[in-house]
Amino acid sequence: MELFLQTIIDGLLIGGLIIVVGIGFSLCFGVMHIVDFAVGEWVMLGAYTGYIMVRYFGHDPMIYLPIIFLIFCGVGWMIYPLIYRAVSGKRHNPVIMGLVFTFGISIMAKGGALFIWGFHLHSITTWLSGKSISLGFAMVPSLRFSGFIFGILVTILFMTFLYKTKLGITIRATAQDRDTANLLGTDVRKVGALVYSLYAGVTGMSGVLIGTLFSIHAAMGAKYCTLAFFVVVLAGMGYVPGVILAAFILGLLQSFVGVYLGGRYNQIALFIVMYGVLLITPKGILRRGI
Amino acid sequence: MPSQVGQVKANAAKILWRWAPLSILILVVLSIPWIVSPLWIRIVTEVLMWAGLAQSWNIIGGYTGYLCFGHGAFFGLGAYITGITMMHLGWPFGVGLLISGILSALLAMIIGYPTLRLRGAYFAIATWAFGEMVRQVATILDDVTGGPVGLQLHPFLNLPYFYYVMLGVTGLTYLTTYLLLDRARFGYKVLAIREHEEAAEMVGVDTVTIKVKAFALSAFFPGIFGGVFAYWVTYIHPDSVLGAQLTDFMVVMAFLGGIGSLWGPLFGAIVVQLVQRILWLVWGEGTFYLIIIGAAICAVVLFIPNGLIGLMESRFLSPREAVSQLKKTFKW
Repeated sequence: MELFLQTIIDGLLIGGLIIVVGIGFSLCFGVMHIVDFAVGEWVMLGAYTGYIMVRYFGHDPMIYLPIIFLIFCGVGWMIYPLIYRAVSGKRHNPVIMGLVFTFGISIMAKGGALFIWGFHLHSITTWLSGKSISLGFAMVPSLRFSGFIFGILVTILFMTFLYKTKLGITIRATAQDRDTANLLGTDVRKVGALVYSLYAGVTGMSGVLIGTLFSIHAAMGAKYCTLAFFVVVLAGMGYVPGVILAAFILGLLQSFVGVYLGGRYNQIALFIVMYGVLLITPKGILRRGI
Repeated sequence: MPSQVGQVKANAAKILWRWAPLSILILVVLSIPWIVSPLWIRIVTEVLMWAGLAQSWNIIGGYTGYLCFGHGAFFGLGAYITGITMMHLGWPFGVGLLISGILSALLAMIIGYPTLRLRGAYFAIATWAFGEMVRQVATILDDVTGGPVGLQLHPFLNLPYFYYVMLGVTGLTYLTTYLLLDRARFGYKVLAIREHEEAAEMVGVDTVTIKVKAFALSAFFPGIFGGVFAYWVTYIHPDSVLGAQLTDFMVVMAFLGGIGSLWGPLFGAIVVQLVQRILWLVWGEGTFYLIIIGAAICAVVLFIPNGLIGLMESRFLSPREAVSQLKKTFKW
């Protein structure tokens, strides 16, 4: 019974952090209709950036989160024009070109990380590492708890931005109908750049927290890529609020499979659930996807 | 009558001129194992394998317009099935190959049926997740696949034999693509789906069936190539036959050569494989090639979306034009 409760708590805590990886990705697909294959690589690069900053400047990684957010926003803003070029203009099949372009970016990032840092494992230690809060029936590791709190905070901020501010409404309008938004005077290209840089920033920031929880290595991107894909398929592609529910389901699924079957069955469980969802409700479990 | 004799002679000369280059090419290709060194037999066999793999990816990615990012999984599946049928069941090589191909195609149907009904993005995601899953399955079933230790087959060291087998399978891949996709009604239906899926459906093309068939066809060949590869290198390991680099290479070769064309993947495979081998000979084992591959994919998408084949038909972009276009891209 205690193991069961502990598994549930672990799953929920990880789910809170996974929301951050999925939310920007989902918005990115909703606005630009691009599946960004580089999502795992943003996580990986974020983790490495956090690692380097802690190593060279000291202090706790948490205080670098805003700086990393800004760095990755900048990188996203710089890359977006290329993506826009790949998916627009007189192209044979723009969606394919966008997919393949981000695929190329992901290979390049992975190769660069392998070239620079090799196959070694790294990790970030913080003042919270190894501490935990006891609830009587279960233990809550402080680091995972802070990751969860971070995830919830980012989600609340993101949702407030998307649903309450004028810019957020513009973004949602663009996601709903690109051509009409363009006709009504929205600069669709700028909205896309904003969304992409927001997405890169948020995902890079989540990479730092993932780096404090799990080991950092150059090939870690593939795992988070699969997680992000799973979350958006479950949530319905492009439906942002669904990400929250889907991320918690994913966290629970992962922790239950990890505890009761063993960590090596993870990908199989993920694929079977994803396949089932695609077979039964292709628009996501809430039937709100596009 | 002298004029008729002259006519016949002229005809013969014409026929000779038309067929001479082709027959010389066939002769050269067939005699390669007897005139070059073993290292080069290996390299040419590799190029042939990659040309076939890139073409098989091209069937679903280029002709049908649905991007499969888990195509390497079919290759690994074929390698393992051939290895297991030969080592654990003692079946002959040819039977193992056939079973590998058929099972790959069947699995592709199962994966493709729900995902090909949806947008292309779902298909890309599902095939990617499928590829990741197959790699894990290979390590879980360690009593038949050897898990992380790998699977050792009976060594059969005969380079010319594998050269001819690879040549045969690659030739079959190109012939099938030519006959089914460039010459048959099936190919026109597939192209109609790529160009405008709703319109194709309106005029009565059963889009889902056609797409599933195309996917099964494109998965059939990697299964066979995997089997040949396993017997050729005699030692298979999850990283060597199921690694992410397999799909990466297929995508970059097909794109560099030109997707949706018959000879594009061949060009792409020759260029990429030779560049990779030269890098390998100069620098040794390294990861730098990944950066080059990634940059090559991005550059092809940005500047030559029709690939090297497309370059031959269209005007070259001068470096200055390319720079000015890039500048325009970054202007707000």
